[in-house]
Amino acid sequence: MFGLLKGFGVTVSQIPKKKVTLQYPDVKPNWPDRFRGVHKFNPNLCIVCNQCARICPTSCISLSGSRGEDKKLHIETYDINFEICILCDLCTEVCPTEAIQMTDTFELAEYNRDALYKNMEWLVENGKQHAQRKGLIGEASVHDANDTDEVAGKAGEK
Amino acid sequence: MFDWFDWSAHPLNVQTFLAMLIGSLIVLGVVLGCVTYAILLERKIIGYMQLRIGPNRVGPWGLFQTIADVLKLLLKEDIIPNKADKTLFAIAPIISYAPAFMVLAVVPFTASHLFTAGLDVGILYYIALSAISVIGIVLGGWASNNKYAIIGALRSAAQMISYEIPLAMSILGVVLMAGSLNIVKIVEAQKNFPYVWYVVPQILGFIVFLIAATAELSRAPFDLPESESELVSGYFTEYSGFRFAFYMLAEYVYLIAMSGLAAALFFGGWSGPLLPGWLWYVIKAGAFIFLMFWTRATMPRIRVDQLMSFSWKVLIPLALLNLLLTATWKIFF
Repeated sequence: MFGLLKGFGVTVSQIPKKKVTLQYPDVKPNWPDRFRGVHKFNPNLCIVCNQCARICPTSCISLSGSRGEDKKLHIETYDINFEICILCDLCTEVCPTEAIQMTDTFELAEYNRDALYKNMEWLVENGKQHAQRKGLIGEASVHDANDTDEVAGKAGEK
Repeated sequence: MFDWFDWSAHPLNVQTFLAMLIGSLIVLGVVLGCVTYAILLERKIIGYMQLRIGPNRVGPWGLFQTIADVLKLLLKEDIIPNKADKTLFAIAPIISYAPAFMVLAVVPFTASHLFTAGLDVGILYYIALSAISVIGIVLGGWASNNKYAIIGALRSAAQMISYEIPLAMSILGVVLMAGSLNIVKIVEAQKNFPYVWYVVPQILGFIVFLIAATAELSRAPFDLPESESELVSGYFTEYSGFRFAFYMLAEYVYLIAMSGLAAALFFGGWSGPLLPGWLWYVIKAGAFIFLMFWTRATMPRIRVDQLMSFSWKVLIPLALLNLLLTATWKIFF
């Protein structure tokens, strides 16, 4: 009988408490460092090994490259279809040079399905914006965003 | 100007009829405003009780949220299902809404009784009309030709008809105390001996009234007719657009009418110190409405197999006991 009144007391005591709502578009939560958002891509690091496209569970990555003067493969097109991408992080896991990585963006709502088919330029631009948000670079190029030598060194150790 | 709205003093001619029409339109406008902000307040209060902010994107503090919602509903397509009984489907919301609005005629919102019919059978009128709105709900559920709608409608029929009885019986105690069925006279009788609002001598009746009124309005914890977790939306599952808005409107107008009735019967209506009468009425009815929202944020839904036995085995005996005590009290004083 008095349990009912107790319940009323509980609900009314919630009113003055601080609200936990975040005003989402204006205020965003702090994403964890390993948040798996939309990819960024660094064409300078890519060695066109095709491992990302092979491991992708939804086959949403399609890429093509060509052998240049120096007998090295250079990436030409790199497209991710975000209609079916499940942001599972596997491409990043297998990438030997960390050319494809994930950022903290996730807002990909579009009015038509074609707009979700993102090409290499878009992914590079996304990487630039991500670096700016993180305060890693000012207006520098993507090439400086990832310290190429360090990454290459890491790749060499592997 | 105000005696122009005093229907009982004039014969029913064209002028009086026009005055009545204008008066009812004014009441409708006021009630729509009240409903708009009752809905907003409900969402806000429940939000605050759940550590949320509630609607706050449309206008400052979400003040235009409900208006935006209603506009959206009015622009929506009015879908009538193929297998539905089209005529009944179309008129059911109107049947549901009309009594909810009509009962406002006997609720004395001010001390000067503007727009209040001083019916000598006010209570009877109220109870009789509020029983009609069940028909609108049952018709709507039946005409939808949808299993969830039918289940909701039948539940609603069972629930509302069962809870009418304790509601009426709890009011009877007040009627015995005041010696009148006229709501205006009941409010005035609360100024006589024992010089307190009837909520004190009629506390048992008031508790029964509260529970029965909550069930009658089919609000939580008695929201079985439209329980979203079991039935999609209960009796208005198939409704959309304007007719859906009508059902929602009926529900909230009925809530306001019930709060007005509670304020008149148990809290002395417009009487109170310092402030004008209508403001006291708003405060008392508002407190009742707030209690309803508070209950909704607190209570889980009652189990469907306990619903009927609670009405018949608990509330009605309590209301009868209250009647007996009141009658005994009347004999000795």
